[in-house]
Amino acid sequence: MDETALIHSAQNGDLDAFNTLILHYQDAVFNTAVRILGDEDMAQDAAQEAFISAFRSITSFRGGSFKAWIMRTVTNACYDELRRQKRRPTTPLEPETSDGEEMDSPKWLADPNMTPAQQSEADELEHAIQHCLDELPTDFRTVVVLADIQGMDYTEVAAASQVPLGTIKSRLARARLRLRECLRGFEELLPSSFRLEGERTL
Amino acid sequence: MKNFREIELLSVYLDGQLNESESKRLETRLASDLELASVLNDLRLTRGILRKLPARKAPRNFTLTRKMAGLKPPLPRSYSFFRFSTAVATILLMFTFAANSVARLSFGFGAAAPAAGPAFGMGGGGCDEPCGEALQAAATEAPAATEAPAIEAPPADMLPAPTTDGTLRESEPSPDAVQTPKEPAVESELQNQAPVEKEAVIPVMWQVILLVVIGSSGLTMWLIQRSASRKWQ
Repeated sequence: MDETALIHSAQNGDLDAFNTLILHYQDAVFNTAVRILGDEDMAQDAAQEAFISAFRSITSFRGGSFKAWIMRTVTNACYDELRRQKRRPTTPLEPETSDGEEMDSPKWLADPNMTPAQQSEADELEHAIQHCLDELPTDFRTVVVLADIQGMDYTEVAAASQVPLGTIKSRLARARLRLRECLRGFEELLPSSFRLEGERTL
Repeated sequence: MKNFREIELLSVYLDGQLNESESKRLETRLASDLELASVLNDLRLTRGILRKLPARKAPRNFTLTRKMAGLKPPLPRSYSFFRFSTAVATILLMFTFAANSVARLSFGFGAAAPAAGPAFGMGGGGCDEPCGEALQAAATEAPAATEAPAIEAPPADMLPAPTTDGTLRESEPSPDAVQTPKEPAVESELQNQAPVEKEAVIPVMWQVILLVVIGSSGLTMWLIQRSASRKWQ
């Protein structure tokens, strides 16, 4: 895939070229949205809005990392979604049973390659991590999602977040520190190496 | 717990973003400072856990349709011609209405002054439709006119012989005697008013033609848009 040619075609109004770019980035965009928002439905809305917005403003893309540019769009869409959520009645993060209780192992997290026990542990760990991510301020969460979950470098994160590089370093360090403190509350779910290290530092 | 500046330094070092000299200086400190090394390990493990999070795949494709992207079908060149002609015809139509209105207003002011003179003096002018009724009413008020001869009564010898019928004949005004002085005034008023109503700078026919042009151009544009969007889909 010649990304530059596709971007150029999309800038000339070629929707098919832009859809090829969407197919390439949609997993990363959705994953980022779901980690920032903590909700799959909201993440889908944000991802779709981000792509629509990206197509409409693709002429403003002046080169550089397209991934960082598209991540900036999805980050803005997530912020919009969070603002919208504040105006609406909140819904629980976990799906509920017919009795109104939260499902421990929701179907939407199921991985058919795992045993039920492994699946349950993975679900709980993922829930624990998502819970700790949700506890972070939105700006910190965005930086840690882009850097540690999406694996973007500092320059890309700065471009996506539209904040200076120094701020990114500071936010990332603070976010990691807070996450570490939060994850201590879920030590039984964490890998053994993490538990031992935690006990040593305590 | 180390101060935040040191933790930030460790976080940056962990990501390999420190320059060579800073990295060496920090590594020297890490070798001697166990607490600092322990914090670095904590940060490394936290980052490791985040990286182990399963990547969530998109549950569906987010590709855009033309409608979602807000794209409009390409229109033929003739569309812009019809759009231009519609705009020009609309402007011209508005101009004709404006010109005719201005003309009516100016003629109306010009005609009002001469009409007011005789109307004031004759007790029935200066009005449009009720004029006829007023004049008719004036015509039936004949006894007022018959009183005048009574004041300037002619000598008795010139009067006809007094008979019972005679007084009635004298008091009855003849239709000719009453209406004859009024008729020229009515006609002159109607003649004065008629040109004011008929005056129009641009004939109505032109306005009708412009309306037809606007309507047909608009309809053609709609048809072009419809066929273009059908072909596009």
